[in-house]
Amino acid sequence: MKKLMIFFALIFLIVISNNAWAKISVIANHDHITIDLFYHGSTVSVKGQAQPGSDIVVKITSPDGSQVLRKKGKVLDLVWMSVENLQFDNVPNLYILRSTKELKDILKEQEAVKNKIGYSALKNFAQITPVSNENEKEELWNEFIKFKEKSKLYNVKADIAKSEENGQTHYYTLIQWPYQAPPGIYNVTAYEIKDGKVIDTAQTQINVEKVGILKMLSNMAKNNSLFYGIVCILIAILAGFSVGVLFKKAGKAH
Amino acid sequence: MYIYLPVALTSINVFLPVCLGLAVGLLSGLFGVGGGWLMTPLLMMLGIQPAVAAATDAAQIVGASTSGTYAHWRLGNVDFKMGFHLLIGGFLGGLTGVEIIKILRVIGNVNFLIKITYVIMLGVIGTFMFIESLSKLKNKTVEKKDKKESGITKFFKSLPFQIHYKKSGVTHSILVTATVGYIVGILAAIMGVGGGFLMVPVMFYLLKMPMNIVIGTSLFQIFFTCVEVTFLQAYINHTVDILLAILLLIGSSFGAQIGAIIGKKIKGEQLRILMAILVLMVTVKIIIELITAPSILLSPAGGH
Repeated sequence: MKKLMIFFALIFLIVISNNAWAKISVIANHDHITIDLFYHGSTVSVKGQAQPGSDIVVKITSPDGSQVLRKKGKVLDLVWMSVENLQFDNVPNLYILRSTKELKDILKEQEAVKNKIGYSALKNFAQITPVSNENEKEELWNEFIKFKEKSKLYNVKADIAKSEENGQTHYYTLIQWPYQAPPGIYNVTAYEIKDGKVIDTAQTQINVEKVGILKMLSNMAKNNSLFYGIVCILIAILAGFSVGVLFKKAGKAH
Repeated sequence: MYIYLPVALTSINVFLPVCLGLAVGLLSGLFGVGGGWLMTPLLMMLGIQPAVAAATDAAQIVGASTSGTYAHWRLGNVDFKMGFHLLIGGFLGGLTGVEIIKILRVIGNVNFLIKITYVIMLGVIGTFMFIESLSKLKNKTVEKKDKKESGITKFFKSLPFQIHYKKSGVTHSILVTATVGYIVGILAAIMGVGGGFLMVPVMFYLLKMPMNIVIGTSLFQIFFTCVEVTFLQAYINHTVDILLAILLLIGSSFGAQIGAIIGKKIKGEQLRILMAILVLMVTVKIIIELITAPSILLSPAGGH
């Protein structure tokens, strides 16, 4: 019993001391992105510190959710059409990953899966319906990634810059924030990696929200749609009619 | 300069929708068609979600057809009586078409049916218009044929409730005009457009209306159809992006006026052959889309 207690005490001390060594930090310099009338995306720089000799992975994601996409297929062996709706569950709408080196060179597979780092890891959690077998899931997942990357909502790069100063690793990465990312709260997680394992994490958030006239218009379209519908028609008629009046003289010439 | 769209939730260069509106508005004023069959796919190419593209397009057609209808009304080219009768049928046809889409969605493959409808309708109309206009430009023999009373004309004359449409200079049973409006309404709802490009040849070839009155009356009918669609899309589906609609309108309103002025200078046959070429080009584009393998096998859901 005494030996057992000593064993647990040692384990406890190791855990405590490990946490004391692991001091990764993360700062997103632009954590409140405002969408106004002239918004065209933004830039977000993520930086922080970690233990010397560590590798770093920075992951920015939206919360997991469901997405419905249309699958195209060949009909009658002749024409390509949207043949069915596919539902993708447990997948984030936005997934940006940055690392100091290629993931396969710094992270063990089970660690990647555990922390949802990389497209392969995400696939393990994703549910696609309807799907008949693993091969089909693999094909559809690859198409999903292609679709998301084309939409600028998914991307993975090994471009984190790091330097060793004062006995610490300093890291920095600049991310082009896509305008395609809708308003919402996005999680930024920095992973400190050593010997293929995640030894520490740090988190922050990026809040993207609409402001000003843009916010007013989108709220009206959603919450006061009767009034919004009438306004849309009136504006359309007024614009068309005004131009008609402007062209009155030109019309008379013929 | 970029602008962020509140409903489409995307950022777009202001220049793009204005130019797009100008080009489609020009066609609208020139041929009397709303341009929905061109604008919606073009907006989707700019990255607008299909549902928002279709609904916002309806709003811009309201503006384009307002100025177009106004221009043609001042020129005395709108047959209001004919327009109202077509609208009665068109409205009921639109409701039937929406129900057909609902049923087809349950059965599946609705997109396939829509595109095939596009290919068949545009292909038949475009080919017919092209051949007819070309032969009319070459010689006047077709005009002689027109003077002969066909079986259809005889049948139309045998129907009750004959009404004289003074502005168009034709006499038809209200059953004919309402039925024509009804059929076009169904097709317009299935194809997700205002129906102008279907109504123009039908009014010209079947109802034997003069081309200038056809264009004015078609714009008048499109105006009311799109007012209804815009309101329903904004109220029920929340898919009308007013900022995008305004940008498209700026272009299309001017385009429609320029189109109406150019249209006055071009002969009817030339106008029809131009429209036939345009319709055939769109048909060929859809056929190529249908048979070419896409680079990504997934697309956004929405629209119809």
